[in-house]
Amino acid sequence: MTSPLEARSLSLIREGNDVLDGVSFTVAQGEIFALLGGNGAGKSSTLLTFLGFLEPSDGDVLVHGENVGSDIAAARSAIAYLPEAASLYGHMTAYENLDYFLDLAGKSAGRSDIDAALDRVALPDEARTRRLQSYSKGMRQKTAIALALLRETPILLLDEPTSGLDPVAIDEFHDLVTALAKGGQTILMVTHDVYGACQVADRIGLLRGGQLVGSFTAENGERIDTETVHAAFAQRQSA
Amino acid sequence: MSSAIRIAREEWRLWLRSKVVIAAALIIAVLLAATSFLTAGRVVDEQSQRLDKQVAAEEAFFSQPDRHPHRMVHYGHYAFRPPPPLAAFEPGVDAVTGQSIFLEGHRQNTAMFADTKASADLGGFATLSPANLYQLLLPLLLIVLGHALFLRERESGTLAVLLAQGQSGVKLAMGKGLALLSVIAALMIPLVAVAIYSISLGESAMAASSLVFSYFIYLCIWGALVLAASIILKQRAVSLGVLVFVWLFAALIVPRFAINASSAAIDAPGKIESDLIMLAEQRKLGDGHNAADPAFQRLQAQVLEQYEAETIEELPINWRGIVASYSEAELTDLLNEHAENRMGLEASQSRMFDLFGVISPTISIGSVSRTLSGTDLATHHRFLRESETLRFNFVQAVNQVHVEDLDYARDLNRNASDEAGQLARVSADSWKVLEEFRFVSDASGDRLSRAALSLGVMIAWLLASVSIVFLAARRVRM
Repeated sequence: MTSPLEARSLSLIREGNDVLDGVSFTVAQGEIFALLGGNGAGKSSTLLTFLGFLEPSDGDVLVHGENVGSDIAAARSAIAYLPEAASLYGHMTAYENLDYFLDLAGKSAGRSDIDAALDRVALPDEARTRRLQSYSKGMRQKTAIALALLRETPILLLDEPTSGLDPVAIDEFHDLVTALAKGGQTILMVTHDVYGACQVADRIGLLRGGQLVGSFTAENGERIDTETVHAAFAQRQSA
Repeated sequence: MSSAIRIAREEWRLWLRSKVVIAAALIIAVLLAATSFLTAGRVVDEQSQRLDKQVAAEEAFFSQPDRHPHRMVHYGHYAFRPPPPLAAFEPGVDAVTGQSIFLEGHRQNTAMFADTKASADLGGFATLSPANLYQLLLPLLLIVLGHALFLRERESGTLAVLLAQGQSGVKLAMGKGLALLSVIAALMIPLVAVAIYSISLGESAMAASSLVFSYFIYLCIWGALVLAASIILKQRAVSLGVLVFVWLFAALIVPRFAINASSAAIDAPGKIESDLIMLAEQRKLGDGHNAADPAFQRLQAQVLEQYEAETIEELPINWRGIVASYSEAELTDLLNEHAENRMGLEASQSRMFDLFGVISPTISIGSVSRTLSGTDLATHHRFLRESETLRFNFVQAVNQVHVEDLDYARDLNRNASDEAGQLARVSADSWKVLEEFRFVSDASGDRLSRAALSLGVMIAWLLASVSIVFLAARRVRM
């Protein structure tokens, strides 16, 4: 059975620099895979290759077994992407943003569907008709997550998804991601938040200097041990 | 296509929520409305004034009493060039060429300005025509609206989100382009109104609609250039700076340079200068007022032989009238030769100027605009030629009256006494020889064929700029 997401000896050179160097991994259906790494490790670049925004210098990225480069549109239709900056339009309300992006994605959603998604991410009712330029970063992030939910795609790519969220919202987000994975969605998230990654991920890949240098897997229904990962992360960072 | 429409709709939402954009649009709308209203009003006034003056000049000529025919040659007449209906939009060369000519014997006078009423129209503001606004200001509005169309998405990160929804760079460019196209369509409304108004004043529908089409093409060129810059360039400030420079280059620098270059390459003397050059040659032709001038000896011999007469007194016709007619024809040939030479040089300068349209669409639209509106140099030259024909015909017709209806002896004796002067007059009925003159614009087909080259250059500009947008959009990733 083909994995929803697969990177095979993925290498990427940008402006003469090796961003990724022979990275390989797969993410199974219903699995949460977290790529953990410091700044410049190549985490976000890995996500962008799955969307066809960056073209591998070598190796392959596959979505449902198909090379992304051969059909970028098919790959994008299978993926909901949550960028780090939760980039949405400040001059639009949450409703308008969601309606617009869903329309462009060819997805029809009524007001009740949108409300249900916004309820799931706990965006207050009163905020939904306000323009996003008055939102906090956390509220923007929640709106962007709602968009990802509404896309109802089999794959979710999350770039630093808890950045800017308060602790309560982070916990709510972790619960949400876990529920989505249990529902069958495949989730690849990149983060430098060791604690957050250990909270939700079934597997963690440690990325450093564009290379996958370590891997941790949750076993027997237990969470991945934070201290072990932290120690590895810190060791690799200082190496 | 539906996603392009949706993207365009959301662009409008942004514009309508932006105070800067609303303010810029309002300023342009007020300017367009004010200039259209003022220019249209002035043109209608001038049209009726000049037609009235033309009729009044004819009536004044016809109502002259019995006179010596040569006095009528010098009494003269006027030819007026009424502004064509589309001058309400594009006054063209009207402002610098003069619109009326005093026609008299032995001279080709310079065109004059019919009146000075325009100076009362809000001072210099009246010189800002709707065509100026469309050629110069509207591209700037498109730059303000569109310089960040793509860049804004790139800088705010929404480009990645848009692409992640399955939109390609080409689809996004189509949507953004559609938004600009709808702005351009809205900007065409005042011009369409002026075109409809001009048709109601008698303008050809083909010329008016071609003018609207040409300006639509012109603004689309700017729209495509603006869109291309916003796709290719990486920073908003750079995009704005580059586009403003392109605007300065195309709208101000190239036209200024083109004027100097075409004047330097083709040295065309002005009317006064060519008149001075011509004066020396004119003296060789003899003085038509003096029938005894040696320059007419050969003519005298030919006429005497034709009528088998020994002396000019024996001729059955008036020798002084013959000399006047002959002299006028000779002089007119000389005048026309110089006039045609001058107009030919001016036309060459104008053609060379138009060629600079290859590097500036503003030059091409200016040329197309003037030509289709009937306010171009070629139309002015035709006015000069037609008024010259009118002048020559009426002078020669009066000279013919002099030849046939006035006895030579009485003519010679006209200054002897008041009574002799009375006898040297012809009937006022003779002044009916003056032809009615109504200057009208060229047929729309003629104007279109004259504008074809510049219009072709503009279409090439459009194809090139749209191709750049397409190629750039295909490369959009993030």
